Amino acid sequence: MTMDGKYIVGIFDEEKQVNKFIHALRAQNLFLAEAYTPYPVHSVLEAVKKRTRLKLAAYFYGLFGAAAVLAFLYYTAVISWPINYGGKPFNSFPSFIIITIILTILIVTLTSLATFSARGKLYPGKVAEIVHQRATDDKFVLIVKEDSQTDLHALFSSNGATEITERDTIPPEE
Amino acid sequence: MYNREIRGALVEGNKTLGQISTDILSPMDKRPGIWWFIGMGLATIATFWGLYAMYYTIRFGIGTWGVNNSVGWGWAIINFVWWIGIGHAGTAFSIFLLILRQKWRTSINRAAEAMTVVAVGCAALFPALHMGRIWLAFYIFPYPNTRGPLWVNYNSPLFWDFIAITAYLLISFSFWYLGMLPDFATIRDRATSKVKKAVYGFFAMGWTGSSKQWLRFESLSFVLGGIAAVLVVSVHSIVSTDFAVSVIPGWHTTLFPPYFVVGAIFSGFAMVLTLTIVMRKLFNLQDYITSNHLNAVCKILIFISLIMGTAYATEVFIAWYSANPYEIFTFFHNRITGDYAFQFWAMVICNALIPQLFWFRKVRRNLTFVFIISLFINLGMWYERFNIVVTSLSKDYLPSNWSAYSPSITEIGIYVGTLGMFVAGVLLFFRYIPVIAASEVKSVWKAGEEGEGDKDEQHIR
Repeated sequence: MTMDGKYIVGIFDEEKQVNKFIHALRAQNLFLAEAYTPYPVHSVLEAVKKRTRLKLAAYFYGLFGAAAVLAFLYYTAVISWPINYGGKPFNSFPSFIIITIILTILIVTLTSLATFSARGKLYPGKVAEIVHQRATDDKFVLIVKEDSQTDLHALFSSNGATEITERDTIPPEE
Repeated sequence: MYNREIRGALVEGNKTLGQISTDILSPMDKRPGIWWFIGMGLATIATFWGLYAMYYTIRFGIGTWGVNNSVGWGWAIINFVWWIGIGHAGTAFSIFLLILRQKWRTSINRAAEAMTVVAVGCAALFPALHMGRIWLAFYIFPYPNTRGPLWVNYNSPLFWDFIAITAYLLISFSFWYLGMLPDFATIRDRATSKVKKAVYGFFAMGWTGSSKQWLRFESLSFVLGGIAAVLVVSVHSIVSTDFAVSVIPGWHTTLFPPYFVVGAIFSGFAMVLTLTIVMRKLFNLQDYITSNHLNAVCKILIFISLIMGTAYATEVFIAWYSANPYEIFTFFHNRITGDYAFQFWAMVICNALIPQLFWFRKVRRNLTFVFIISLFINLGMWYERFNIVVTSLSKDYLPSNWSAYSPSITEIGIYVGTLGMFVAGVLLFFRYIPVIAASEVKSVWKAGEEGEGDKDEQHIR
């Protein structure tokens, strides 16, 4: 992501300070440009102003999966080559439900994972663009775009950031 | 919050985030102790015996087993159901406790999920081998073919079972792997050796812990967790229908699905106890898998044990109440008394009575006792499956059909082989994968302490 304006990077040691900083940041009506944390911190996830539609996608995968499986079962058992199993109806719907539930779950899992992988560009062997070596370990890395109204350096340091640097670019969102 | 008073601290000792990574990941940097090599050696020997027994079965056919026309299902299905049951713990731990927002699961779920994947893999071998002609196994896939096309019978629980086990294996593996991404990234970023960095970097899939990744990660965990919860219940219900839809005395009952699901979770949780008690000892993870965690599992086991006892009693009561002579014969003359009385009473004592010792706090806090009781439950659950499979088949409606069953050395070999594979799989897991989900522990590490944690209660982790 290249844009004019610098990015200020602040490194925190504790979630408590992160929450305090975000509170102060939001009081200025500013958002985080990006954040790297060792575990999901919910104040951070709210302050980056991003959202994901993965759950919605999964819902539609489920609808599609259920319809596709039922259609397949109906086609094979009723249209393609019906077989009389002890006088049961060809369209033995109650039996189909069991298979449909299981296969729908499987389809939702696989397609959601594929979406997660494709949208986030996460795949085996991908080289990570690491902003801070310890962001996956014990440091909270918060990045804010430079703002003419606010002294971000002061805001970071007054809330307990242990290290403040500047960057020209940040890695792309994915 | 409520869990503050009940559970106590989820992580003991005054840790920092960095220390959590070090404590959990450092066993992977060191050469494992001698126990690891001894365990691996024994497991390898068992695995080779098992592989030979499998080869022997495939080469010479099912005739090498002890099964016969009356008892057509022997150790193969007993062990299949037993392993699948054990395999239910991982999902039950991760999913049910995730949905119930039990934060204490974070120390145990990784190990439980690993156990699931390995156990379900072991389980899947049995029906495949029992097919006899394993090279025709692909017939069970509904694929367009030149025999009609002849599709599979969707009314058959055996087909449902095939679908369920395949789906369960794929889904539990996916869920397990997804949870490991952040930890692999931690290893990658902490590694000093180039090889380690490259290998774990490969599997970390470029994870950086950015906000968008965490957002998607949480959504995906939520989706997978939500739908896999259905799977925990449905997979073992389907396994139970393998029995329940057949008109065999002792099998043909509507109690079977809940009875099997609860039994599966029972044996799974018992295996989790067995495994984690060993794991925390070997890796010095006492601060993460605290006696509070094990205490919580024990309490669940009391409850499940009571359900098991109720199920056993219900079965016997309904057999009597139905006044069906075949049901009465099976339960009163072929289980409670008769040739297989030992297996019946072993099941009742191990599953319904011994776990009641967990009512005593002293027993729950004494890990030697807990470990021994967990082994008894594993044994009892095996006897339960033996009891169901063999007693009903050995003496059904027609006395001229009656037959006894005892396993052949080949069947025993296959079972020992899967035990070896399980142990080997678990030992490899201990060696190469962080045994505790470090990133998840970090997120709850202050929960249970005064004034910290639980502020994001509405978010599902």
